[in-house]
Amino acid sequence: LCSVSLGVEGMTCASCVQSIEQRIGSLPGVIHIKVSLEQKNATVIFDPSQQSPQSLSEAIEDMGFESPGSS
Amino acid sequence: MTCEGCSGAVTRVLNKLGDVKFEIDLPKKLVWIESDKDVNVLMETLKKCGKEVKYNGTK
Ligand SMILES: [Cu+2]
Ligand SMILES: [Cu+2]
Repeated sequence: LCSVSLGVEGMTCASCVQSIEQRIGSLPGVIHIKVSLEQKNATVIFDPSQQSPQSLSEAIEDMGFESPGSS
Repeated sequence: MTCEGCSGAVTRVLNKLGDVKFEIDLPKKLVWIESDKDVNVLMETLKKCGKEVKYNGTK
């Protein structure tokens, strides 16, 4: 398993955090996700055979939030 | 849709889809969309934001 921290821009409240955690957390290969509103990032533990830092940040951008990539 | 984060996300996914004109009414939790695209396409796009989407009909 791999762990990555991705930047997430555009969140303003707990409901934003929740929708990202729910949607990204339900993707195949995502084991765990923790989104921080204060730090504007998402820490994701994932199966590298099914997801990559790129695919995860694309999935976040697909939801309408900015994800400048892994940090 | 409860805050500017949500409406910002809706704005970005709709802009990315392209070929749509829209107006967001955050207090009423409404998005008015003017587009030639299929309603289902628009609904699926809005659902990407992780919100519940309900079709309220045309203006
Ligand atoms: Cu929010
Ligand atoms: Cu919101």
